[in-house]
Amino acid sequence: MFEARLVQGALLKKLLEATRELITEANFEVSNTGISLQAMDSSHVSLVALQLRSDGFEHFRCDRTFSMGLNLNNMNKMLKCAGNDDVITMKADETADVVSFVFESPDQGRVSEFELKLMDITSENLGIPDTEYSATVSMPSSEFQRIMKDLGSIGDTVELSVTKEGIKFSTSGDIGSANVICRQTNHVDKKEEPTHIDMNEPVALTFALRYLINFTKATSLSPSVVIKLSKELPVVVEYKCADMGYVRYYLAPKIEDEEEMGE
Amino acid sequence: MGIQGLTKLLADAAPGSMKENKFENYFGRKIAVDASMHIYSFLVVVGRQGDQLLTSEAGDVTSFVFEGKPPELKRAELAKRSTKKEEATTELEAAKEAGNQEDVEKYSKRAVKVTRQHNEECKQLLRLMGVPVVEAPGEAEAQCAQLCKEDLVYGISTEDMDSLTFGTPRLIRHLMAPASQKLDAMEFDHAKVLEELGLSEQEFIDVCILCGCDYTPKISGIGPTRALALIKKHGSIEKALESLDPSKYTIPEPFPYQEARQLFKQPDVLRGEAIPALKWSAPDKDGVIQFLVHEKSFNEERVRKALDRIAAAKGKASQGRLESFFGPAKIVSSTSGKRKEPEAAKGKGGKAGAAKKGKLGAMGKKK
Repeated sequence: MFEARLVQGALLKKLLEATRELITEANFEVSNTGISLQAMDSSHVSLVALQLRSDGFEHFRCDRTFSMGLNLNNMNKMLKCAGNDDVITMKADETADVVSFVFESPDQGRVSEFELKLMDITSENLGIPDTEYSATVSMPSSEFQRIMKDLGSIGDTVELSVTKEGIKFSTSGDIGSANVICRQTNHVDKKEEPTHIDMNEPVALTFALRYLINFTKATSLSPSVVIKLSKELPVVVEYKCADMGYVRYYLAPKIEDEEEMGE
Repeated sequence: MGIQGLTKLLADAAPGSMKENKFENYFGRKIAVDASMHIYSFLVVVGRQGDQLLTSEAGDVTSFVFEGKPPELKRAELAKRSTKKEEATTELEAAKEAGNQEDVEKYSKRAVKVTRQHNEECKQLLRLMGVPVVEAPGEAEAQCAQLCKEDLVYGISTEDMDSLTFGTPRLIRHLMAPASQKLDAMEFDHAKVLEELGLSEQEFIDVCILCGCDYTPKISGIGPTRALALIKKHGSIEKALESLDPSKYTIPEPFPYQEARQLFKQPDVLRGEAIPALKWSAPDKDGVIQFLVHEKSFNEERVRKALDRIAAAKGKASQGRLESFFGPAKIVSSTSGKRKEPEAAKGKGGKAGAAKKGKLGAMGKKK
């Protein structure tokens, strides 16, 4: 028996908006610590890892660990029917082949229940090592989204380079080139999120913009985004979800030297 | 062609060995391509003047040669479209020249009408484009299988199912299907085939021979299902033949199953050191133009455009795959911990669209 009641139901809606472009179906793993999901896109270039801790739910019960295969587009169809202020309860039984969503309007005036059929999905999970990244940059998520969108209209790939000075985004395309530098901001008094750079060594990597733009679909989840970079490792783009978890995106970099391509 | 009815047999008896993958799934991977079939299918499509594959009027043929046959190009183009730069060393397996090997010729029932000149021209074109080409001493599929066994390539792309009989670890079908058909690639896993059929490699070869392969005539009345049952029961063709009632089944004469078996097990292929390095090189633009435009009167503009596409797709950097950083993926199934019942499989049939919408309405829940 699994049951989870989430007061800020909009969070679930946003999470789905943030992932369904990249992956169409995924296994949601539920355990007594919370809900998690890991899935790669069909080309195995990017990965979404999602974690919602049980303590962030108003009520959370999970008797044993199991995973539910869900088609995210279909799940989204149902979640779209929930109001932004609705309280969402997810319920599933290990033996049943459906998961149900109950939406309750804040004034308790309306209760809707949706049942979504589960699917058998075989997904490929990667063991992601815990690594110390050379550079960790935290910046306003809306700023990151804007830069990605802007650069996306100019080129296909972006080079992210972190130096003491700041983080630089550069791209070039047929029509020309573009460079955006975000410097560390220190003024605490300002309302907006600060840009903070934590760097052990300078690092520069190139990525496909298409995926990064896709990642920024999660912008509404959090006012700030954390970007972690290390030489020869996929970039991590992390959005926190309301103190109860995160969405992390991993994206494999472009490799300069063709010969070194491994399996 | 290939093994008769094998695909269907596998779909029924070893469904776990087949996996549908999106085309994108293969980018960045090295795939060996069995060219004989491709050249042949282009002849069929181009038709009529089979002996003028490369010399016939430009127009449509150009797009064939450039978009269809050398798979690298097509993949590159698709990859480009999705901003993934293609760099996989797809290597084109040189087509086997029909009849240059006694054994094969004797058993080969297939009438390959690709002439030596076609092969030479295709090879020349591919080399000019920088695509690595391997010339198989015998069967191209067997050579592909060998490349895959030696881990030089991830899998092999062919429509010919007897590659599996040759023991290729991974066979991918429909990879070269035109993008317009929107066919997903179908991957066959040799190890899983054996596991699910419950056969040893030797027995699997015997099943394939009984199904009817390129080298032996078929025993009428025995199809894939019967073949599988016979081998499972008796373990080998010899014993299976003994058990057959001669009044019902006539064993064709000659029925050279031993030779066929030998051919599957010990095909004439290049091994280890003998395999040339599979390396991509930059296309020789002038060479291609000289060859196609001046010698074969192709439309120069089209050729140049195609060359630009290759150049753009090969670009500077290539997209990495996550597995190359985080190690191979672990397969996780959603059924873990639940739905152990046999009908668990039914969920799979219920495709995406089948998800039923719940009823909106007052469920009268008290809170």
